[in-house]
Amino acid sequence: MISTKTVATEIHDDLASRWYVPAEVESLRKLYPIVVLINFVSLGIFVLRNDSESIFSSSMQIVVSIVILFLLSKLDQGQRFIRDGVIAISGLTILLSVLQFSSGPQIIIDYWMMLWTTIPPLLVIYSVSKPIVTLWASGNQTVRSAELGLFRNRKVSRIHGMIFRHIALLHAVGFVVLPILWIIDVAVSPGNSLGGDFFDAMTLEHFNHILSSESFWIWTRNSIIVSVGTTLLGLALAIPAGYAFSRFKFRGRDFAMFSFLLVQMFPGVIILVPYFLVMKALGLLNTSIGLILAYSVTALPLCVWMLKGFFDTVPKELEEAALVDGCNQNQVFWRIILPLSLPAVAVTALFSFLAAWNEFLLALTFNTSEEMYTLPVGLASLISSTGQAWGDFAAASLLVSLPVVVLFIAFQRFLIEGLSAGGVKG
Amino acid sequence: MVNVSFRQVTKQYENGFTAVNELNLEIKDGEFLVLLGPSGCGKSTTLRMLAGLEDVTGGEISIGDAKVNDLPPGARGIGMVFQSYALYPHMSVEDNLSFGLKMMKGENRKSDEEISNLIVETAAMLGLSEELQKKPKQLSGGQRQRVALGRALIKRPRVLLMDEPLSNLDAELRQQMRTEIRRLHDDLGMTTVYVTHDQIEAMTLADRIAILNEGELQQHGPPMEVYRNPQNQFIEGFLCAHLNEIVDTANTLFGGEEE
Repeated sequence: MISTKTVATEIHDDLASRWYVPAEVESLRKLYPIVVLINFVSLGIFVLRNDSESIFSSSMQIVVSIVILFLLSKLDQGQRFIRDGVIAISGLTILLSVLQFSSGPQIIIDYWMMLWTTIPPLLVIYSVSKPIVTLWASGNQTVRSAELGLFRNRKVSRIHGMIFRHIALLHAVGFVVLPILWIIDVAVSPGNSLGGDFFDAMTLEHFNHILSSESFWIWTRNSIIVSVGTTLLGLALAIPAGYAFSRFKFRGRDFAMFSFLLVQMFPGVIILVPYFLVMKALGLLNTSIGLILAYSVTALPLCVWMLKGFFDTVPKELEEAALVDGCNQNQVFWRIILPLSLPAVAVTALFSFLAAWNEFLLALTFNTSEEMYTLPVGLASLISSTGQAWGDFAAASLLVSLPVVVLFIAFQRFLIEGLSAGGVKG
Repeated sequence: MVNVSFRQVTKQYENGFTAVNELNLEIKDGEFLVLLGPSGCGKSTTLRMLAGLEDVTGGEISIGDAKVNDLPPGARGIGMVFQSYALYPHMSVEDNLSFGLKMMKGENRKSDEEISNLIVETAAMLGLSEELQKKPKQLSGGQRQRVALGRALIKRPRVLLMDEPLSNLDAELRQQMRTEIRRLHDDLGMTTVYVTHDQIEAMTLADRIAILNEGELQQHGPPMEVYRNPQNQFIEGFLCAHLNEIVDTANTLFGGEEE
């Protein structure tokens, strides 16, 4: 099976045989701690569900998985009986999981747990019974086969690493995508149930209902007014402030910059009550202007710092060149600095727009009459007041995130430019 | 063209540091003057005061007959070439060249036709005719330097100011641009003030060099005259000894080759 011609040296024979462990075994040793961990997660899920039968079988799974992990770590040359034990116990594990899920998995997470209790033991049986591992475990390998094995290990372990990484990435993707799929499913399912199979029945009734309801459009109008107003006011304040902080030296400059940061450090709840009192005193409760003012002020520190950071990267010589070319200070700003800073301005605008679009707490507190609700507050009211309209809620959530998605796609180029670089070297 | 004069010009910063101290210097009409000195000697500050980018804290600067101390840079009739080129990154070469012309006001304002003629003429003069639609990013270092030069020249300034314009170029390009700058000066005949710390550059370019150290004018005169008659220790060390060293090195090198 193994060619003996290619390996010439016998000097370090001892070394090769002592070092050699088949890549399959090494990979399984890395995989099994994760299997045990995921078994614990499954156990936790069953405990939450209060499913005593599954709690028991899941505990058994943990025990056998730990035994497999232990045996794998003991597996070595000439330990053939351990190898046989690993195979036997893996078979037992598969049997256990078949029993556990014989009643059939219910929701997607059950499929996931089933995969993690059946595939690893199958992998163990497959890999450990490979001839190359059998030869190693029985202790009959020659020095040359060990050397060839070391050579083979490099390729195999690279492939294994790649598979590992992809499995990890798949989990990350699932973590991000599943909630979105779920809310899409709820939005297109008839009725207001949160469970059921994915996409078993499709309907647009919830979308119809939301789009034809008057209040949704009123809330949308309110949200647009508030978000656009916040963006415009925020930029109108932040651009000159950022430019001044970046370019001019004046008394109290550092203190002002620092106090901006200081305000950011307090959680929003702290300013809620004072803001409410101020808005009440100004008669701005239940108005869009009140929210615009509050949002602009809370978004301002970060916007100013972002823009200042960008303006800092625009070389001063550019401004001097423009001065020599006959601009005054104003023209320098409008014709040179601002066009150059468009990416940063776009990022800042997007940031304040999204902050205003998604904000919930201040909107809930200030604007209590239903025709002044913004979208997030309106959506929440779908759940609390008129029963549990999950279908409508999900459909509306999707509609509300639509502008956000569109904005992100539209601003994508700017976002990358604006966040990564101030690369404006002449 | 016009002459430029510094009378008792002083620049003192708020922290008390005196960058330029009572500078008296006349620059003749059409002359190529090089301000030479080690870094921190006040040569750049002098140029920037002349450009209007630094306030003058004492004395008087005049261009032609007019005192310009309080005129904004754009009103002084100067063109300036910066060390880092300072081209406007968001504009094409054509727009970079014409930006200054388009900013002109009142009777000096040129018609669109005149402007486009000037662009074509300037681009041809500097070998940039093919690059007019490109952005500065797409140009090589030498081309960027030409655009910067063109931007300063296109307004036909009364005085051309250059602040170490060649220090970002490699040796070969520097040599080439040096020749070109001198040729342009001779063709257009405008008063030129050129700042450098490079002795060779100063010796080869200048009609007259003015050497500064620690804010004080040490000596001024035609290059060879200053080289032959250094008036103090500083000039001897900074200019004469340095040049002699270069000559010695060259002699050793090529002498060794002949043997």
